[in-house]
Order: sequence, then structure tokens, then C-alpha cells
Amino acid sequence: MEAFLNVISAALASIFVQNMVLERALGANVLLYASRKKEHVIGFAAAIAYTTTISAPFAWLFDTIFGGYANYRIIMPLLYVLTIALIYILTLVVIWRFFPKFFKSLRRYVHLSVFNCSVIGALFLCSQQGKDIFAYLGYGVGTGLGFLVAAYLLYAASARLNSPLIPAAFRGYPIMIVYVGILSLALYAFTGYSTSAL
Amino acid sequence: MENRINLNDGLIKQNMVFMSGMLIAPVIACATSLSKSLALCFVFSFVSFAAIILCRFIPRTIVYTVRVTLYTIAAAVFYIPACLLAELVFGEAVITSAGVYLPILVTNSLILSKTETRFYLEPPANMVRDVIEFIIGFDAACALTGFFRELLASGRVGGAEVPVLFTIPALETTFGGFLFVGIGAGLFRAVYNRSKKRASEEADDSEDSLAEYAEDMGEFLVGKHGRSEKIRIYKAAVGKAKNENELLEMEFLSNRDVLAAFEAIVSEGQELSAPPEENAEPQETGPDAEEKEDTDNGSVS
Repeated sequence: MEAFLNVISAALASIFVQNMVLERALGANVLLYASRKKEHVIGFAAAIAYTTTISAPFAWLFDTIFGGYANYRIIMPLLYVLTIALIYILTLVVIWRFFPKFFKSLRRYVHLSVFNCSVIGALFLCSQQGKDIFAYLGYGVGTGLGFLVAAYLLYAASARLNSPLIPAAFRGYPIMIVYVGILSLALYAFTGYSTSAL
Repeated sequence: MENRINLNDGLIKQNMVFMSGMLIAPVIACATSLSKSLALCFVFSFVSFAAIILCRFIPRTIVYTVRVTLYTIAAAVFYIPACLLAELVFGEAVITSAGVYLPILVTNSLILSKTETRFYLEPPANMVRDVIEFIIGFDAACALTGFFRELLASGRVGGAEVPVLFTIPALETTFGGFLFVGIGAGLFRAVYNRSKKRASEEADDSEDSLAEYAEDMGEFLVGKHGRSEKIRIYKAAVGKAKNENELLEMEFLSNRDVLAAFEAIVSEGQELSAPPEENAEPQETGPDAEEKEDTDNGSVS
């Protein structure tokens, strides 16, 4: 029961309190790309959740074994990247072998959804804040769901953000970033910052 | 169609932070002070340059879905010396305060996307120059962001106090970073669009400006031609200057370029632009003549 609660609390924290995109800006550039289409929103979020969740136990294993070494933090990116690369290639081989049509539709942007800073950043945050393997798994699931929430909020507003009423220079990318900033500001309420703490 | 790549894109037109948004997470969340920004720039420059140069040698026979993993692994390997050097240069405290934003640079879009869509297509020397310009573009944007956020948020620059009238502490937060980069991107684009518009207006082949230039430059040579003939010659000059600019990979066409081309055409083609006999068909001048000239020289028209 405690393990289950650990997973749930870590997942909820990574969706609302420590949302990967809105609170830490990790994966912000992928968010801009994913929010263009509804299918992309779901596809990217699913790919990120899948990769972070499967990678999380490996990250926990590495942290447990090598965590005591002084220079571990310097080789962490290499270990995490190798883990992600392995999962990515094995998954693609399985999909290519058993679901060739799905593979064709996937191959155009699958690398963008796997090799981005939200996936590798989630693993680093697991390492910094996760106490046990369940917390790692919770962060893994929560990262994908957090991305889904952020991407959907941006997708829902994308028509208005591209309105001709917005000055031409701000239309598109700049106003989207400003909008994400306002969402981020709203989410700060969950963390309970006071103005003096800013 | 010939695939032309402008080597100046990385600095301004496709600036990674303010124009294309290819790498904004570290700038938004971590570039809150000048020292952290410079540490980010250092690690980014080292990792990206080394990884892209190495990745150039990865054979394209390997499918892209696999090749992209090799790009990331190469970047992660180069991160090790980059991080050790950064600790020596900036101190361990700065590197530690950058948190997860230094290691995530191994998955930056310059390595993963631009290598494939842009750098692979260029000759090696051009590629090196292009990569450096993209890196400088990012570094400048990141360092400026760090400088202004530190100044406006805490009234300091590089840790030293600076007298300011007011501070905006919220600029140190992530939402402050989003707002700063978003507004900065909008202003950057506005300035870019204005300068581009001005440059194109200068080289614009609108009838009035064409006639004015033709009057100024060619009156003594083509004075007996009508207004439309002068405009045709001027258009030919614009075409010639544009071609030369493309070969030199220059983005904007200046009046000086056009006037030089105009002079060249007029002085080379005096016979072409000799006064036509009355009621005779117009002489072969302007764009058609220019095309012929280019074809004869074997250049791209």
C-alpha cells in the first residue's frame, strides 16, 4: 500500500507541482511542436511517458550501484542516454516487426519524442528526488501525464495564439512562450510561493 | 532546384533561442545569472561542436532512427570533458547550481535535428562555419538573457552590485524566464522584420525607385531611352546583383550592389543600350540580355 501511495504521490507531484514543462521548462521546444496537432499531443505524451517509465528502474539501478562515486554525476548523462537508446531501439524493432504500418506512421517524429530534454531531465529529477524505485516509477508516469496536460492546454489555445489580432512579430512562437509562462505562473499556486519568497 | 543554404542563418534568422525556439529550456530555467549563462554557453559550445563534427563521419547508410542514437551518445561522451573543463573555469558551485540543465544539453536539437537536415548537406568547410554561427547565435542569446535577468532581478551583474532604480525578482523564476524569452523573441523578430523590410525596400524594384536610380546612374548613357527602357536595364542590374549576392551567400541586397551591377551592365552593354532608331523594335537589353550574358559566362541565372 505504501509503495502504491509513493507512486501516486510522485506522479501527482510531477503533473501539478513539479510539472516538467511548466515548472522546469524541460521539453518546452518539443511542447511547441507537439501542440500543433491533437494526435501529436497524445503521441508525444505517450512516447515520453513510456520512455521515462521504462527507463526509471534502470536509472534507479545505476544510482544505487554508482551513486557513491565522486564523478558519477559527470557520467550520468552517458548512462542515461545509453539506457534510453537501448529502450528506443528495442521498442522500434518490436514495432517494426509486429506493427509495420504503425512503425511507418511513427518513424517521422518518434526520435523527437524520445530524445529530448524532458525524458532525460525526468531521469535526472528522479535521481535527485526519488527515494525508492516506486518514486522513480511515479515520476516516470507523471512526466508523461504532465507533458500531456501542458501540451493540451497549449493546443487548446493555439488557434487564438495565431490570431491576426496579435502583432505579426509576436504571432506563433513568441506568444506561445508567453502563454506557457502565464500557465507556469498559474501553476506556481500549487507550490505555495509567497511574493516575499520570490 | 539548387539547394542553397545561407551560412548566416544561425546568428539571426534561425537563432536557436529567439527565432526558432530549438533550445530554450536551459535559457528559460537556468540562465538567471551571467555566470550560469556563460557556463551553459561553454558546455553547449563544446558538446555541440565536437559532437556535430564527429557525427559528420557517421555513414548515412545507417538508418536515421539508429543514427540519432549515435548522435546522442557522442554528445554524452563529449559532455564528460566539457563538464570537467567547465568546473575548472567557472567553479564547482556554478556547475552544481546549473542542476539538470547542463546534462540535458546532450539532447539538444542542434545535434539531433540540424545535423541531419542541414549540416550533412553542406561541404565540410561550410559546415564548420555554419555550426559555429549557430553556436554563437545561441551563446549570444543565452548570455544576454542571463545578463539582463540578473540585472533586473537582483540589481547585480556577475555578482557585483549595480545601482538600479527597481528590481523584478520574479525574473529569476521559470515563469519569469518564459515571459522574458517570449517577449524577447517578439522584439527580436520585430527588429529583424523591420530591418529585412528596410533592406528589401532599398533594393525594391518598384517603378519609382527604379526610375530614380536609372535617372541618376544611367542618364548620360541611356538618356535617349524611354522610362520603361531604363527600368528594364535597372531590373537587369538588380537580377545580376542578386545572383552575385547568392553566390556570395549574402542575404540582403544593398543599393551599392545594385549600382555596381548597373554600372557594369551599362558600361559593358553600351551597344545593347544604344539609342534605338525611331519606330524600331526595342533593343535587346534588360533581363533577356542579362540571361544571355549569364549563360555565356556559364553562371547560374
